[in-house]
Amino acid sequence: MSDTRFLDKGKPPERFARGWHCLGLESAFADGKPHGIEAFGGKLVVWQDSQGKLNALDGYCRHMGGDLTQGTVKGDEIACPFHDWRWGGDGKCKAIPYARRVPLRARTQKYPVEIRNGQVMVWHDAEGSAPDLDILPPELPGVGTDAYTDWTWEVLDVPTAHCREIIDNVVDMAHFFYIHFAFPTSFRNVFEGHVATQFMESKGRPDMGGSGYGDADLVLKSEASYYGPSYMINWLWVDYKGFETEVILINCHIPTSDNSFKLQYGLVVKKPEGVDEETAQYIGKRYSDTFKQGFEQDVHIWLNKAPVQNPLLCEEDGPVYQLRRWYEQFYVDKADVTAEMTDRFEFEVDTTKANEYWQEEVAENLRRKAAEDASSPESSDDVAPDSAMTGT
Amino acid sequence: MASFVPTSPDTLEDQRLYTRARLTEVACLDCLAKVGVKKNSEHHTSIQWNDEARRQCPEFSRMDQRPEGRPVHVGCPRLVDSIETAAREGLIPIGAEDGY
Ligand code: FES
Ligand SMILES: [Fe+2]
Repeated sequence: MSDTRFLDKGKPPERFARGWHCLGLESAFADGKPHGIEAFGGKLVVWQDSQGKLNALDGYCRHMGGDLTQGTVKGDEIACPFHDWRWGGDGKCKAIPYARRVPLRARTQKYPVEIRNGQVMVWHDAEGSAPDLDILPPELPGVGTDAYTDWTWEVLDVPTAHCREIIDNVVDMAHFFYIHFAFPTSFRNVFEGHVATQFMESKGRPDMGGSGYGDADLVLKSEASYYGPSYMINWLWVDYKGFETEVILINCHIPTSDNSFKLQYGLVVKKPEGVDEETAQYIGKRYSDTFKQGFEQDVHIWLNKAPVQNPLLCEEDGPVYQLRRWYEQFYVDKADVTAEMTDRFEFEVDTTKANEYWQEEVAENLRRKAAEDASSPESSDDVAPDSAMTGT
Repeated sequence: MASFVPTSPDTLEDQRLYTRARLTEVACLDCLAKVGVKKNSEHHTSIQWNDEARRQCPEFSRMDQRPEGRPVHVGCPRLVDSIETAAREGLIPIGAEDGY
């Protein structure tokens, strides 16, 4: 028998996760036009009716397969560009302008829509269950008022990876040092019910300062929870040169196939005292740009790595297997969800040894850098760091 | 219905090792809730709750009631004390096997 470790790539699930998925900001859909959203192996059409309510249906007409996302909103319905069949938000065909009557079976796939924190949530379940309103992500007090900046919103395409890759980051303590150039000084996970959380404290890496990445003046406290399979709220408290900022970041994704997804992120910043409106929005924009680098660092890894069903772990790693056991609950029939998948589980990662080794490594890098040149680091405008990390 | 499917039976054994092996039962000194505990080192702790223990913990019930509290509780301080005590008394083996 070989003692070489076998890398089990496994097979991705045949279905998409059960739960609420975020399609983006409500304001992006409020223009009386149909919007096409790639999701769940197909395409959705999303539009706002005359009541201001958002509707989401399967993007392809049940008549002859016309592309509804290229149709027109007529009254409250979406009209197909091919033969003008009119589809209502309840999934029923309401009218066929050239026909005596509408066939009784003219019903299409609808996706129940709810608005949370100014964002559009749709319910997906391969079993076709009614939407579970009890597990919508929580309302964020104060967000949407003058106390916070407006949501930023960005989308990154991840064309060749299953979305479980981004979930795994919830427990991946060490990648924050290597990929995001920070020292995670404290790291803890809690999984319970449909929520998986990461508590982290970190400091920037001084050896990466000036190159646009890590920054030694940066102290970060992060609390990040997945509410269901795809929607994370990440509360961040950033201390940069004594300037404290509270950021709420949404990191969410839409699976588009069993090997691709769209990563979306948006944030608001609590407006600091004595800072004018323009500066506050600018700080939000700066954080968004900064987090973009972080997400791109992750995406680069996913696009090149192999899927691993049997990760080999060391003592300093986080609880990958327990996280995946939690994640599994969204991929099995509701009736097959086991207690183990949802029972509370806590894991405190020992970061002490890792940080000792990393301090050494960084000190060595700094010594070498100092010997090589005496170039001064770029100055920044002190309201937001050039790079701050998230919980992903 | 099958979810993520391993292609090797060894993967199932890995799943068992990482999630279930070496768990020691510890009872909370206050509420007597029983959890499974693993300590790979002094600073590492893994705690597996079950439904019964979770409902038994009065600290969590109190936190659940606090309206301004976060929806996710970091942990129960009484259980942390109980685990520390058990570890001090040598009731929890400290140190990992091969990474688990
Ligand atoms: S295909 Fe849509 S109306 Fe004919
Ligand atoms: Fe990451």
